Amino acid sequence: MMKQLSQRLLGPVTFVLLALTFWFGLWVTPPDQIQGNWARLVYVHPAVAWVGLYVSFGTATIASVLYLWRRTRSPVMDRIAHCAVEVSVVFIALTLITGSIWGRPTWGVWWAWDARLTSTAILGVFALGYLALRRANDDPELRARRSAVFAILAAINVPIIHFSVQWWKTLHQGATVFTANRTLLIHGIQAWTLLISFFAFTLLFFWLLRARYRLEVLRDARYELSLDEALTQRRREGVR
Amino acid sequence: MLNADAPLDLTPVAAPMVARRGRRRTIGVLVVLALAVIALLSQGLLHSLNYFETIPQAMQSRVKLGTSTIRLEGVVKANTITRTASGASFYMTGGNNQEVFVSAHGSPPQLFQANIPVVVVGHFTSATSDRFYGTQILVKHTASYVAAHPTRVKAPNGTTR
Repeated sequence: MMKQLSQRLLGPVTFVLLALTFWFGLWVTPPDQIQGNWARLVYVHPAVAWVGLYVSFGTATIASVLYLWRRTRSPVMDRIAHCAVEVSVVFIALTLITGSIWGRPTWGVWWAWDARLTSTAILGVFALGYLALRRANDDPELRARRSAVFAILAAINVPIIHFSVQWWKTLHQGATVFTANRTLLIHGIQAWTLLISFFAFTLLFFWLLRARYRLEVLRDARYELSLDEALTQRRREGVR
Repeated sequence: MLNADAPLDLTPVAAPMVARRGRRRTIGVLVVLALAVIALLSQGLLHSLNYFETIPQAMQSRVKLGTSTIRLEGVVKANTITRTASGASFYMTGGNNQEVFVSAHGSPPQLFQANIPVVVVGHFTSATSDRFYGTQILVKHTASYVAAHPTRVKAPNGTTR
């Protein structure tokens, strides 16, 4: 009952929070003292990056570990990891695009080869590589095992991305929320809007993951059905 | 003619071939992936793991740097910006109150202003000079967000109300 209710509410709640983010971000919050209206991208870019890097890759990594662990091994875990990486590709691409849109007026360039940007691009390549690797293997079990190992290895890059602004000197700014000394560098309505955006995009991820997962289940069912049909066909041929 | 009572052998006859093809494809994907990552690493991280030199660092290795192209980071000193026909000139300060005079060509970014951290791509004009010739100015804005209050007025004593 609760599960059904939460599944039904996921879409509408996501929509409301996204609408709130855009309303607050575009009309309610004031411009920034230095960045002016460009600072409004802070209500999109960090939240999208949070989902692309941490939430989706975290989901894929946990699902991959659970697949490799014999006790919890099941096609469900493989499917979740696959769908999470697919959604992460979209969010990583959005992270790089919104970052570029922000970078041009603030830094003065669309792209800089600094540690944060490059390591994020590498994660995007890893995510695409994961999907290519899945297509390269026809055996479902082998595909799931290899993909799981690959996802776990690719996830090593996530902490490198996170700490890149602390470990090296980068053009990309340091953390605003997850600072080393846990001090928020954004306040008032700006901070609240940022928080709402994090919730909104996180829920959007789970909504997309659920939709993609259901599609994958239907695809598997169709594959099974076509296999059954092919077997029946062969049996019929045998009877004649 | 097939016998209907005989059990059907449904074993895929081409299984070993498929496995070999899968392995070849996997190796292909991994090779392409490795090349892409190496290309990104060589472009981004190996050449510029640290994206810039701070002014004290540049001053410390001044002789070694010579007139080679570097990215120099510092804060634009207030009241020193002069817009020129080809760009802007200003003083840039770093730690230990060290200053470098920058003459930059090309239009600065929108956010370029006094007291903002910048990274200037360019080189020192000679091996001993403190003058820096810039070909590009990048603004390195901080992670702090402070709401602008356009309705606030400045009092004669300098405070805002």
